[in-house]
Amino acid sequence: MKLWSPFPLHALRRWWPSQNEWSLLVAIVLAIVLTALVDSNHTYFFRPFESLRDIARNSAMLGIFSLGAAVVIIAGGIDLSSGSMIALSGTVCSVTMLALAPTEMMAFKPVGSAVVFIAVLASLLTGFFVGTLHTWLITVVRLPPFIATLATLVGLRSFARALCESSTAVLTPTKSALINVADPAFKVVRDNVWFSVVTFLVLAFFTWLMLSRTVLGRHLKALGGNEQAARLAGIHTENVKWFAYCFGAMTAALAGLFYIANESVAAPVNQGRGHELNAIAAAVVGGCSLSGGVGTVQGTVLGAFFLRVVIDAVSKIIKTGADVYEGLIVGVVVVLAVTFAQGVNGLRHDRRILPGSLGLCTIPVLALLAGSLASMTTGAASGVAAGFTAFIALVALRIWENRSHDKKAQVSNSQ
Amino acid sequence: MNKQAEVAVAMRGITKQFPGVVALDDVTLQVRRGEVHAICGENGAGKSTLMKILSGVHQPDAGELEIAGQSVQFHSTRDAENAGVAIIHQELELVEELTVAANVFLGREPRTRFGFLNDAIAKRKAQELLGLLDASISPEEMTSGLRVGDQQLVEIAKALSLQASIIVMDEPTSALTDAETERLERTIATLRLQGCTILYISHKMDEVFRLADRITILRDGRHVCTVNKTETTASEVTGWMVGREISEHRFRSQQTVGKCLLEVKDLCVASQDSSQSVQLHNVSFRVHAGEVLGIAGLMGAGRTEVLEAIFGASNSQWQGTISLGGQAVSFAHPSDACKAGLVMVPEDRKRLGIFLNLNVTENISICSLFHAIRNGLLSKKAEEGIVAKPMNQIGIKTPSLTASISELSGGNQQKCIISRWLLTKPHVLLLDDPTRGIDVGAKAELYELIDTLCQSGLAVVLTSSELPELLTLSDRIIVMAEGRVTAEFSRDEANEKKIMTAATLA
Repeated sequence: MKLWSPFPLHALRRWWPSQNEWSLLVAIVLAIVLTALVDSNHTYFFRPFESLRDIARNSAMLGIFSLGAAVVIIAGGIDLSSGSMIALSGTVCSVTMLALAPTEMMAFKPVGSAVVFIAVLASLLTGFFVGTLHTWLITVVRLPPFIATLATLVGLRSFARALCESSTAVLTPTKSALINVADPAFKVVRDNVWFSVVTFLVLAFFTWLMLSRTVLGRHLKALGGNEQAARLAGIHTENVKWFAYCFGAMTAALAGLFYIANESVAAPVNQGRGHELNAIAAAVVGGCSLSGGVGTVQGTVLGAFFLRVVIDAVSKIIKTGADVYEGLIVGVVVVLAVTFAQGVNGLRHDRRILPGSLGLCTIPVLALLAGSLASMTTGAASGVAAGFTAFIALVALRIWENRSHDKKAQVSNSQ
Repeated sequence: MNKQAEVAVAMRGITKQFPGVVALDDVTLQVRRGEVHAICGENGAGKSTLMKILSGVHQPDAGELEIAGQSVQFHSTRDAENAGVAIIHQELELVEELTVAANVFLGREPRTRFGFLNDAIAKRKAQELLGLLDASISPEEMTSGLRVGDQQLVEIAKALSLQASIIVMDEPTSALTDAETERLERTIATLRLQGCTILYISHKMDEVFRLADRITILRDGRHVCTVNKTETTASEVTGWMVGREISEHRFRSQQTVGKCLLEVKDLCVASQDSSQSVQLHNVSFRVHAGEVLGIAGLMGAGRTEVLEAIFGASNSQWQGTISLGGQAVSFAHPSDACKAGLVMVPEDRKRLGIFLNLNVTENISICSLFHAIRNGLLSKKAEEGIVAKPMNQIGIKTPSLTASISELSGGNQQKCIISRWLLTKPHVLLLDDPTRGIDVGAKAELYELIDTLCQSGLAVVLTSSELPELLTLSDRIIVMAEGRVTAEFSRDEANEKKIMTAATLA
C-alpha cells in the first residue's frame, strides 16, 4: 500500500478527543479537592459516602438524558424538549397508575408490580411518540429542529399539566397539579442510589456500543457530518433521524421515572424545568459539536459528572440557597469548557481578549458581574472590593494587550 | 521614484503555513501598474492563498508586501480595501437578499444628514458604476435573481466603488457562459484603460493568453517564474504548472461495446419551483457496457438533473422510462439505485460527497458497512480489510487509513468517493463533473481510472464542464441545452466547435 506521511497529524487528531476527556477528568478531580479544602464543614472529608451518593444520583439522572441529547446533537439536530418530556413521562406514569389502581394510589398503598410495569411502559412509549412527532415535524413538515423542539418544549409541559389536572379531576375527588407516588417500587429506587447509577452506566455502555460499533452509529455520525452526502450515499436519513429523536425523547422519559421516584411525586409544573439545557451543556462540555457529527459517550458522561460536581461544590461552599446559582454555574462552566477546548486554536491567531471598543465595554460588564456575585454571596463590602479589583485587573490586561499588540505590529513592520 | 511608481504590487519572500502544509514558501512577485497579470498554477499551488494575503484575508508568516512602493501590513480586508486592493472571490460574496445597490455599498452605505440610509444616492452611484461596466443591471434588482455573470459584475462594481486600483479576480470565468466570458473580457479591457491593475487567477490557458500581459506560475507554494505572454506558449506554461510535460493523449482505443445497460427514454422533469430547478424535456440516451457516454452542456443545461433523476436523488417528480439492464426501474431513494447496481458520484465533492468528521476508511466504507459486521458488531479490522483493496487498486495517497479526509488532496478525496461506490460492485457509474477543482496531475490519474473501469465492463455516464476532458474520455457525447438533448456525436465526429454550437442552441 502506498502510505505517504509528511507529518503525523492523524496521530495527534486521534488523540484529541481523549485529551479533552483527560482534561475533564483533571478538572473533576481539581473541583473535588478544592471543595474539600475550601468547604468550612469539610463535608467531603467527614461524610464522603453521603456526598458521593448525592453526586452519583444527580449525575446519573442528568447523565441519562444527556446521552439522549448527545445522540441527537451528533446526528446534527437539537432536542430542546427533554425537560418537558421528563415532566410528561412522570405524569403519564403516575396517571396510568392512578387509572389502573385509583384506591391504592389515593391511600398511598402499593399498586402491584403489574401496574408499575404497565405505567413504566406507557412512559417509555410516550417518549417514542414524542420522538416520532419530532421527526415528522422535522423531516415532513420541514421545520428546523430548533423550532420543532422549541414548540414541544413549551407544548409538552402544558400538555402534562393538563393531563394531570383533568385526570385527577376524573379519578380523584379533587383536581390536583400533583400526583403522589408512594409505591414501594419507586421507594426502592429512591433509597438505593445504585439503581439510577447502574441504569445510567448500562445505558451509557449500550449507547457507546451503538455509536462506535454499529452501522446505525456510523450512519448517525454521517448524517450529522453531512446530511446531503449521507442521503446520496444511500443512507435513509429520515430513519436515522427518527432513531435519534426517539432515543432523545425516550432517555428523557426514562429520566422522568427517576425524577418521580426521587421526589415521590409527579409535579408537571416544574419537574425537569430547564433541565434540557443542562443536558445540552453536558454534551457540549463533553466535546459534542453543535454543528453535528462529532461527540463521544465517554465525553458526555464526564461532562454530566463534571457539571454535577461543580454544582455540588458550590452548594457545599455557600451552604444555603445554592440552587439559585445552579444556572449561573452551568453557564460559566459551558463558557469556560468550550473556550478551553477552542483555546489552542484561539491562541494561535494572536487574539486579544479585550479588543477595540467592544473590549472597552466588556470591562465594566465583567467587573460588575464579579462584584455583584461577590456581594450577593459574601457581603457588600467584599463585593465592592472584588468588583473594583476585577475592574483594575481588566484595565491592566487591556493596556498590556494593546501594548504587546502594537509592539508585534511594529516588529513585523520593521522586518 | 518613478520606477517605484510603476510597480503596483511587490511581494517579497511571502511565506504562509497552515497546520501541516506550507501553502506559500518564499514567494516573490512584482506586478506592474496597469497590467493584467495572470497567476497560474495547479490546485493547491498557492494561488488563492497568495491573493488572500494580498487582500488581507490571511496574514503572512514572513515576507513583506508593498503597494505602490509603500510597505503595508493588512490585518483585515478593510485594511486592504483602504489601500486600494479589492478581491473578487471564486465563490461570490454577495448578500442575495439585498438589492444590487445595497450590495455595492455594503458596509459603506451612503447616509442622509440624519444618519438614515440614503437609497437615492446609492442607486444613482451604483447605476454610474454599472454603466462604466456596460452592464444592463438595474440597481434596484434583487441580487438573488441575477445570473452568475451579472452577480460577478456587481462584485466588480463594488470593487470600483472602493476606488480600488488593484483588482484580484479568482477564477472568474468558472461559472460563466461564453457570452458572459466575452463581456468580462471587455470589462477587463475597460478597467485597464482606466488604469486599474488586474491580477487574474485562472488555469484556462486560452483565457490567460488572450488577456494577460505577463504570467506568473506557482507550483507547490513556490514561485516558478514570471514571463511575458509573448515569450511563451500554453504548453510550456502547463509544463511549468505541473513540473513535467503533459502529453494529451486520447484514452480508450476503439473497443467492442457490450450490451445496453442503461436506457433513458423521454425523461421529463417539471420544474418544481419556477426559479431554481431546470426542466428536462424528453431526454433520451442509452449507455452500453464498456462505454463512456459524455454529457456536455453549459451550467444550467440540466446535466446534473438528468443524473439525479436516474439515481433517485431528485426532489421533483419525473416522467418517462428508465431501464437498467433491460428492466424498467424507478428509484425513490439512492439506496434503491445502489442495490440495483447504479451509483452516482455527485458534483461538488465537498458539499455532497465527503464527510469531514469521518476518517478515510470510514468515508470509503460508508456504503458497504454491512460487510464489515463480525459477531453482530462493526469490526474496525474487517472494515479496514474491505477498504484496503480498492485503495491499493486505485492508488489513494493517504498518510494512514485513519487519517482525516481533510488531509487528502482533492484528487484523492474524489478517488475515495469513487472507491466508496466501487465497493458496492455497480454496473453503471454516473460521474457528475468528477474532476472539478482537481489539479492537472490528479486529473490524468482519474482519466486512467475511468478508462480501466470501463474496460472491466462498467457503463459510465460522465458530465464535465471542460470540453477537452469529455473529448478525451467519451466514446459518445450528447449535448444538452436548456433541458433538451440538442445533439449526439460519436467519438470521431465530436469536436469543441460542434459541441459549443449545440450547447448554445436555445
